[in-house]
Amino acid sequence: MAAPDADSRHEVAGDRTPLLRIRGLGVRFQDFEAIRPLDLDVLNGEFLTVLGPSGSGKTTLLRTIAGFQQPTAGRIEFDGRDIADLPINRRPFNTVFQDYALFPHMTVRENVAFGLRVRGIARATRDARVEDALGIVELEDLGNRYPTQLSGGQQQRTALARAMICEPRLILLDEPLAALDATLRRQMQKFLKVVQRQSGITFVFVTHDQSEAITVSDRICVMRSGRIEQIGTPRDLYYRPRSRFVAAFFGASNILEPCRIESTGEAVTMVSTPFGTMSVDGPLPQVREGLALAVRPEALVPASGDACNRIGCEVVSVSFVGSETITELRHPQTRHVLTMKTRSNPSARHPAVGSHLEVGFDAAACALVTGAQE
Amino acid sequence: MTGYAPGAIVLWAICALFILIPLASFLAYSFLPVVDNAIVYEPTLDNFANLFSNSSYRTTFLRTMLLAFEVSVFNFVLGYATAYFIWRRPPAWRNVLVIALAIPLLMSYIIKIYAMRGVLGTNGLLNSALLAFGLADEPVSALLFNLTAVRITLSVVLLPFMVLPICVALERITPQVLQAAADLGASEIQTFRWVILPLSLPGAIVGAMFTFVLASGDFLAPELVGGIEGFTFGRLVFSQFGLAFNWPLGAALSVLLLVVALAVISVARRLSNPRWQT
Repeated sequence: MAAPDADSRHEVAGDRTPLLRIRGLGVRFQDFEAIRPLDLDVLNGEFLTVLGPSGSGKTTLLRTIAGFQQPTAGRIEFDGRDIADLPINRRPFNTVFQDYALFPHMTVRENVAFGLRVRGIARATRDARVEDALGIVELEDLGNRYPTQLSGGQQQRTALARAMICEPRLILLDEPLAALDATLRRQMQKFLKVVQRQSGITFVFVTHDQSEAITVSDRICVMRSGRIEQIGTPRDLYYRPRSRFVAAFFGASNILEPCRIESTGEAVTMVSTPFGTMSVDGPLPQVREGLALAVRPEALVPASGDACNRIGCEVVSVSFVGSETITELRHPQTRHVLTMKTRSNPSARHPAVGSHLEVGFDAAACALVTGAQE
Repeated sequence: MTGYAPGAIVLWAICALFILIPLASFLAYSFLPVVDNAIVYEPTLDNFANLFSNSSYRTTFLRTMLLAFEVSVFNFVLGYATAYFIWRRPPAWRNVLVIALAIPLLMSYIIKIYAMRGVLGTNGLLNSALLAFGLADEPVSALLFNLTAVRITLSVVLLPFMVLPICVALERITPQVLQAAADLGASEIQTFRWVILPLSLPGAIVGAMFTFVLASGDFLAPELVGGIEGFTFGRLVFSQFGLAFNWPLGAALSVLLLVVALAVISVARRLSNPRWQT
């Protein structure tokens, strides 16, 4: 972990046994491989986000878990039991659909009660549990409305209550916030996170929005072309991407390339770059070809005495953009331009354009990446 | 009358010319008496008094309403099953079946009835089938020229009016809603009972309304396949216009039919527009 306080927000709640074990799962449509055989463990009580651009196979993965899509290979185990052959209506978890898929002819209350009704739960118990669920999603006053009389956010919360009513241990969410406007989206992200935390239900959440994934997740599984590119905490993926693709997906990076491994120590690896020799923390990539060192612009700071990685640069431009100040730096030998993002400070003096500036970054704040960017 | 576009005025004029004026004129006729086969232009309520006091008009009216009701109920079941079957086919098949079902709507009504006469006759398709399957020893002549023949003919001819609105209603149910039902644990029967049926019922009600209104006013099918037994209210109206040359009485009888049709349409409208659709 980068910071000493280890960012407790991203620690996985609950125990660490996998609730869902996916092994060698593949989905093939004629000659198109939507999901190449992959393994994935979803831990009990965690908020796992499956993130990827469109066509990466993330929705297919979710639909296969839910049972709407038959896998062409592999197994899915829920709580130690193989569920690949279990029909949709017998799978012990529920789904929140992208377009909510509320029953248009039923009120909010009837929609939420549906799961209990099909299980033949007695009316009195049913009503009490529906009221509880409506309380959780703050829809007590709208119970008698029909879906067409609700706003997008209210429909969203109805769909969530409907999925939660049977107290499943796992809820699958298929881009549930895609149809909401930006403000409401942020509200719902917080809300989902709180509901997940308080209920202890495991969430598997699909989205293509990386900032959303970072906000809500305990762990993120990045998918690309039907493969899992990387799984980790949001902080891991952001600061320690293992590929250029993941690095670029979460925002801009300074890419120092080409890279060559010089020596590997116990925890630190020395790599040579055109900017000098740098040290990197953490595991080495399996692929040693086409290596590059990725450093986030905000990981780059004016070097103090103890910074282990240092680069001497010439200041090209300084732009004040409010809370942040962006400095562009040119490395005199390679003519390569680096970007540094620092928190603006009202009393700080900006370095003069053309002046020399020594910048540095921590061994834990950079990562060796491989692969193509797109 | 501010804010009416010229186009709207033209549309209203067309409506008035081709619908409202003819309706008003036959409504006016219904209040005129006939003396010595000639219409006298002195308004009276005699035609309506006649209509309500004559017991044979009354029995014919009730028989026709019962007939239309029977055809509607029968087609409700048959039409729903047909529409459901079509809806459950793969999309490519679905379109073919819907088109096949709609083609008869483009055909002449009389040709369809004659076709049914061929099917129901002693040498017809139905009798051949009964003989072939050993369900009858000799051709059944009771299939034609009675009320049952009218029931069968109207059911067959009006079936598309039942199936198509149900198809439209079923088509509007999104796959996601059905997936949601399964996801929440519903069996196929529960999904049908609690999701598919209530969502498609408005279409079925519209179909039943079409069937009832069309069956209650029809005179061609009863005329051509109904024989003496199949004397319906539509034939009664027709006989006043075409045979007895008593247009005012025919108009009065038609007014009764129109009132029934409007009542059925307004009830169907209410039933097929549940609160959740708004």
